[in-house]
Amino acid sequence: MTNWQRDLLKLQLWALAPVSIAALFNVGYQYLAALANNPAIELDDIRSRITQGLGASYENPGIYDMLSAGFAHLGPTLAVALLTGGLWERSIAERRKRPFELNFIPVSILFTLLLPASVPLAHVVFGMSFAILVGKGIFGGEGKTFLSPALLGIAIMQVSFPGVSSSHPLWNGLVGYSGSDAIALYYRGGEAALTAAGINPWSALVGYIPGPAGTTSIVAILAGAVILLGTRLIAWRLLSAQLLGLVLCASFFVWLDSNSTGYTLSPAWHLLLGSFAFGAVYLACDPVASCCTNPGRWIQGLLIGALVVLIREINPTHPDAVIPVLLLASIIAPLIDHVVVALNIRQRARRHV
Amino acid sequence: MRNSELQTSINDTDLAAPGEYKSVSRVALLGQDFRGVNLELLCQQGDKVKAGAALMRDAQRPRIVFTSPVSGEVAKIEFGARRKLVSLQIDVDENLDSICFSPAQSGSSAGMREFMLDTGAWSALRTRPFGNIPGPESEPAAIFVTAIDNDPQAPAAGPVMDLFAVEFRAAVNALVNVGASPVYVCHASGYRPPVDTSEQLHCQPFPNDYRMGLPGAHINALCPIGFAGKEIWHIGYQEVISLGHLLLNGTPWQQRIITLTGDALKRPRYLRALPGASIHELLADELDDDTAVTILSGSAEYGRQVAPRPAFLSAGQRQLTALSGSSVESPGSSDQPVIPTESLDAFAPPGIYAVPLMRALQVGDIDRARELGALELVEEDLAALSRACRSQFDYGLSLRRILDQLQGEYR
Repeated sequence: MTNWQRDLLKLQLWALAPVSIAALFNVGYQYLAALANNPAIELDDIRSRITQGLGASYENPGIYDMLSAGFAHLGPTLAVALLTGGLWERSIAERRKRPFELNFIPVSILFTLLLPASVPLAHVVFGMSFAILVGKGIFGGEGKTFLSPALLGIAIMQVSFPGVSSSHPLWNGLVGYSGSDAIALYYRGGEAALTAAGINPWSALVGYIPGPAGTTSIVAILAGAVILLGTRLIAWRLLSAQLLGLVLCASFFVWLDSNSTGYTLSPAWHLLLGSFAFGAVYLACDPVASCCTNPGRWIQGLLIGALVVLIREINPTHPDAVIPVLLLASIIAPLIDHVVVALNIRQRARRHV
Repeated sequence: MRNSELQTSINDTDLAAPGEYKSVSRVALLGQDFRGVNLELLCQQGDKVKAGAALMRDAQRPRIVFTSPVSGEVAKIEFGARRKLVSLQIDVDENLDSICFSPAQSGSSAGMREFMLDTGAWSALRTRPFGNIPGPESEPAAIFVTAIDNDPQAPAAGPVMDLFAVEFRAAVNALVNVGASPVYVCHASGYRPPVDTSEQLHCQPFPNDYRMGLPGAHINALCPIGFAGKEIWHIGYQEVISLGHLLLNGTPWQQRIITLTGDALKRPRYLRALPGASIHELLADELDDDTAVTILSGSAEYGRQVAPRPAFLSAGQRQLTALSGSSVESPGSSDQPVIPTESLDAFAPPGIYAVPLMRALQVGDIDRARELGALELVEEDLAALSRACRSQFDYGLSLRRILDQLQGEYR
């Protein structure tokens, strides 16, 4: 492992730290709040046992209680993801005679943060195997893929286990693999439903609303984005273009709907709810899986933002839409680049001497 | 990482060009500086030569000669693999005088070409594409005078040109007559080069960014090269001053203005030295300690490591960097992937998409590399990119291979 790979890994872990901490708090808070509401729903699974073992109490939960309950839920998921990823990585390294790459660690963390806290561990094994094998193994490893491995793992989970969200009583049926949560709620009952569930712009910004663990706290995501932008690991053009696309398209739908139902999300809600912010920073901006020319970055970003809103508004079976859109955007990124480069070549040919 | 090392840089007091003169006892002409030339020797070991005397010529184009920068005795002629000339070393003899060339018919194209070919000044011209020495009869589409140097801590071109304004002006006015093509003097913005612009002579400012100091960027901005068989000439500002000196005095300009930089030096500063001076003599008594020093020709960021054997200033070299530590990361071949981050674009020549070009070079896709602008580039334009890219791939080397193949089908 060369120096720069170590530096890159360190950087990725630092950038994931704010969301990971926010995720621990959020999951712990959600779990303890749900228990306080109805202690009868506590299950006798490994996560509940660890929570009890750590002594987290739902009566007046403090920082320790929330952190330990969060750890009890995210810890097993992450451990299984790391173990699965590491084992596959090891066997690929041995069979293909390639160096053992450590970037399964950030992939595992990203993957864990995109899952609901109550995810069955067998699903984690399945998704993580897919992420490492199909997401990077068959392409030759880090930097040679054209998709973000974590994104691919989540996508396969979404299509393989669509009904899992309603199977667990603890999370109000809100949190599925599709990250639908609050947006689905909004489409069912508008602002009133959100308020009833305790979701307001402030709680969505700070991140104590239900949702996939890492995606809820916009503040933490912003902190990660600052690290990634400051070290120029992700492209500011791609990030701004995504925001721009989202705001433009959402405003267009608000304008279309100005005199009717009121069931159209405002641009601000589009940003705050669901996994758009997380996906935009941590998945879409993966340099390997996005466009590599500046015009291409603008086009891809605008496309992602606009498509997320379009699917959210038009197709109620995909209330979140971020994962499929990012997958699509990654797949067509080389095509966008191809067109940009072809135009550049034509332009050059015209002004040649 | 490297920037912190560079803090021990040139003091303001030492910044005054041209700096003190440091004499050396041996200089050399290097074979690597004359790409694509089959060198034919015109002298032998032990010959006494005068400054300006022809030492070698191009076997295919015998009008192109390479002249001695100093008067002295040919000390050593060193050959490498396949009898390629590595260096022709001359011991300096200060008692010998120089050849004095008769004044040029600088008003006519033929007269000017004749003069440049006779004096060896022609060999300072380089073509794009390919970076060769132009043929004596060939017509450029434009001539670029690179009157800018944006390498970190390289000599500032402006003060040097101001010091030698008479020579510079005379040479640029004469270059206008070499062909019917426009001459572009590419200078730093905010600086006014000592030339009188005319219909054929243009001054073009470029921003103070490393990439904008390279002729590749100037050519891309003003006169991009296609596949139509045209060629561009470019020449560095110190070579222009040297030509001016020849025009005005008839004798070779026996100095170059360089900077000594790097954290291993006692006193980084400007220096005047003979062209082709021995690097080890230049650095004598300059280093803090001689244990582990890396010597780079060029800047700490983009320079090339100097080989351990007797090393000399190469043609057009304006900077010598000595860094403490045993070596810098130099590109080699590896199968590490490219991580196509946005920051790579900042190291690519302007107007060229970094990552598509890098991919074309990595797989050796000649057509794609040409379409993306490879004909405007030579190795030096990709030095920054090779350093910035973590894949350890030497894009300059790959570019040269592609250029060699393109040269076969060009025209």
